[in-house]
Amino acid sequence: MRMRVVRAVARTTFREFWRSPEAVFWTYGFPILMAVVLGFSFRPGPLPKVPVAVVDGPQAAAMVAALGHDDRLQVERLDAAAADRALARGRVAVLVRAEQPAVLRADPTRPDAELARLLVERTLRDAAQGPPPPLAVEAETRPGARYIDFLIPGLIGLNLLGAGMWGVGFQLVQMRTHHLLRRLAVTPMRRSEFVAGYLAGRLALVLPEALAITLFGTLLWDVPFRGGFLPWTCLVLVGSFAFAGLGCLLAARVRTIEAVAGLMNAAQLPMWVLGGTFFANERLEGVMHWAAEVMPLTHLNRALRDVMLEPGTLLDVAWPLAALAAFAAACFGLALRFFRWQ
Amino acid sequence: MSGTAGPAIELRELRKTYRKKGEVVTAVDGLDLVVARGEVFGLLGPNGAGKTTTVEICEGLTEPDSGLARVLGREWRRGVDDEIRARIGVCLQETKFHEKATVRETLALFAAFFDRGRRVDEVLDLVSLREKASARQASLSGGQRQRLAVATALLGAPELLFLDEPTTGLDPQSRRQLWEVVRSVRAGDGTVLLTTHYMDEAQQLCDRVAIVDQGRVIALDTPRALIRSLGGEHCVEIDVDDFAGRVGRDDLRRLPGVVGVELSSTRAVLVLPHVESSLPGAVEALLRARGLVDHRFAVRPASLEDVFLHHTGRQLAEQEKP
Repeated sequence: MRMRVVRAVARTTFREFWRSPEAVFWTYGFPILMAVVLGFSFRPGPLPKVPVAVVDGPQAAAMVAALGHDDRLQVERLDAAAADRALARGRVAVLVRAEQPAVLRADPTRPDAELARLLVERTLRDAAQGPPPPLAVEAETRPGARYIDFLIPGLIGLNLLGAGMWGVGFQLVQMRTHHLLRRLAVTPMRRSEFVAGYLAGRLALVLPEALAITLFGTLLWDVPFRGGFLPWTCLVLVGSFAFAGLGCLLAARVRTIEAVAGLMNAAQLPMWVLGGTFFANERLEGVMHWAAEVMPLTHLNRALRDVMLEPGTLLDVAWPLAALAAFAAACFGLALRFFRWQ
Repeated sequence: MSGTAGPAIELRELRKTYRKKGEVVTAVDGLDLVVARGEVFGLLGPNGAGKTTTVEICEGLTEPDSGLARVLGREWRRGVDDEIRARIGVCLQETKFHEKATVRETLALFAAFFDRGRRVDEVLDLVSLREKASARQASLSGGQRQRLAVATALLGAPELLFLDEPTTGLDPQSRRQLWEVVRSVRAGDGTVLLTTHYMDEAQQLCDRVAIVDQGRVIALDTPRALIRSLGGEHCVEIDVDDFAGRVGRDDLRRLPGVVGVELSSTRAVLVLPHVESSLPGAVEALLRARGLVDHRFAVRPASLEDVFLHHTGRQLAEQEKP
């Protein structure tokens, strides 16, 4: 191997990188920015609480009192149906039924279930005078209540996010760097025609995509589909529309692939973490709660669960649909206003 | 003003400046130009002369700082942009169409933009791409891609066709094929505004040529008249290693029949109405007397290159942005 050649290639590679300000920012600036944001979000403080539901019954009050001894447990008393629902939607980690012996119900595959079980066991043991009370553990295996049932609608949401943003934003920037947008701008094609056609072409792909994930979940794991097909279809389309709008907005002025990739990652990463795909985001606190609540993915995921895990109707998801549509309209409006054709 | 009478393009006192890295660059500096209907008009000049900016103003892509730009009797940004766009055809300097689309698919896309115009098959024949109709963009050669770009500009049956450096980087055969396309457009009564930095292209194709330098028109006429304005249609090139100041402009001017002289450190270009038989001997004698033993002597017809050299004192072909 000739070191002279290796050195020359290395030097050129380094220079190419160093002379693209966008690449430098997204490599050095962005991670530091993320570290600062996350550092403030996760700075040392009280450990997050573990939510537990106690099912209504004659001895529920005593059980709530017993579990209340541990600060880490956030105990809620719910009737049987509401408790099941809270477990299915990930809003509580375990259910406790105050029977003889007490029964703890959880899906062991859920990330926070094991911690909740240990905390409940310890609290009951510490609260008891004498020998620890027996605690029966019941695994949640009913379709619609398991972690996989929670996960599948979330994965649909996450997929629409990726397809909408990357598919739309990335291609737009590529067309801009290839001077194709300029070429289109000097034809009698109207901007509205371009946007409508472009989106129709992209959105044609999302329904089959969401359908495939749903079918996969149903056939393989018996994931339920309890609501209507119409509200589900509306959610998939309007949700994609919202993400496409965001992608379009981020790509509205950007001139390089590196910059648009960085912007997309910056927008997507928080939604991956906090958007309610992998865990329920209802109980986040402070900035993270606020961040999760303004994310379109959060509302899409919740609404998709409403129509898949529960018999949600079009009326039940009317609000999230309207919010997503408004978000999409705002993004497209801004994008068209600032769009750079050349 | 009517949309069908008057010149195809009318530019008055056109100005455009850019801000580039904090510096103000004047791209177009008070440019005046009138292109008549039915002519092939060439904007000839080095890179950075302001040709592309001028064309982009005509195409509505760039807004001038000041001045008038009227295209087919209409002005941009007066609510008739779509009407103008329907009547012009544009071939930009470098456009990469959808990589995975075939030639026919790309043309079908652009054909859809026009309410009236040519059929895809007709345009395929015009640019001789019929046998490549089902080939994807990625598999086309440079010349074929460029002909496709021109084809997209022809779909609307434009009254006015803009071709910005259509043959840059192409091999001679591809260039000639494109020239044929331009000639067929003119045969169909279309007006063509062409920018190029190839003199032979301007000479071959254009009815009239404007030589542009530093954002202004420095000469404008038919290629023949421009060349004739030099005073002679023949050029003699004398190349040496280095004149080193030993031969001056006046020395060369005194040679038999010479009407014009351009001199650089290694080359002298003499312009003559006709080459006298005594000239080679006289040149040899002059150079020898000044101690220049070795030289190359060549006679060629005068070209637009010489016109540019005459007006600017610089070569056109090797011009790059400073």
